[in-house]
Amino acid sequence: MNQSEPAIAAVHGGVLMEASPYGFDKKKLGMWVFIVSDACTFAAFLFAYGYMRVGTPIWGTPFGFSSIVNGIVMTAVLLSSSLTILAAVRASQTGAKASASKWLGLTMLLGTVFAALHLREWFKLIGEGWRLFYNPTGGAPQFGATFFSVTGLHLTHVVTGVIALAFITRGYNQGRYDESHVETAGLYWHFVDLVWMFVFPLMYLMNAR
Amino acid sequence: MSSNRELAMSSYVGIGAGLMVIVGIEVILTYQHLPTRTLLFSLLSLASLEGFVAVMYLMHVKYERPILFWTIFPATLFVLALLCYIWPDAFRMASMRLLK
Repeated sequence: MNQSEPAIAAVHGGVLMEASPYGFDKKKLGMWVFIVSDACTFAAFLFAYGYMRVGTPIWGTPFGFSSIVNGIVMTAVLLSSSLTILAAVRASQTGAKASASKWLGLTMLLGTVFAALHLREWFKLIGEGWRLFYNPTGGAPQFGATFFSVTGLHLTHVVTGVIALAFITRGYNQGRYDESHVETAGLYWHFVDLVWMFVFPLMYLMNAR
Repeated sequence: MSSNRELAMSSYVGIGAGLMVIVGIEVILTYQHLPTRTLLFSLLSLASLEGFVAVMYLMHVKYERPILFWTIFPATLFVLALLCYIWPDAFRMASMRLLK
């Protein structure tokens, strides 16, 4: 960690004020606050799922090996998108606009692929008869409720992230946004990836046949 | 702003590959047919390791001022620790017998 950066005073509206103790702007701090609160939301969902999963003797294991392979591919796609957003942030910080836009575009593409793979898995389960409150194998009906709510919340974050990245890319290309916007959007995208690192083992692997 | 001590892009690719290796270990563990409780805590431990690496390196907390780390981690871990109060009841339910 960097401990040697001095606290530099900054001028806000003509008034000299002490700089942020965090050493970065309020957008990024706001994103961190959001991430912490959102992490607690996901944690509450996952703990509730864990409670039911451990405490229910007949739960049901709907995921065959093909679904697990699909999950591994989804993980690889999302991890790759974390690397492409890192490349976009790096490019924007060096002023390479075209390169930053290219990496942002690739991140959006990977996010879209992830969402498509996710929906494919959903439709497969629905086709097998799984519903929010119905288990076609006769086990605990809570599986559908926990699976669709947790993965649905995550999918919403991915789709929202892709839309946000599209706005950021457009604004960045038009000169309305700068590298700090790209960096803040990148922080959000990494968080989406981070959540999946918990969702995949807990929702998919714990329910593998 | 982050400091200039950040890793090269190739190092981040290495971190990404390392995270995929952990995912591979998780999948292998899944097919060892461990008891539910053991599998849950094994997967949670590995996922926590992945999450820590992602936060420190991909989200750059390692390269920010320490105050960010100390603002975020203790409070978040405290909330997660409080949520753990549910486990004893989950284990109690798991050991209850089914009535036919």
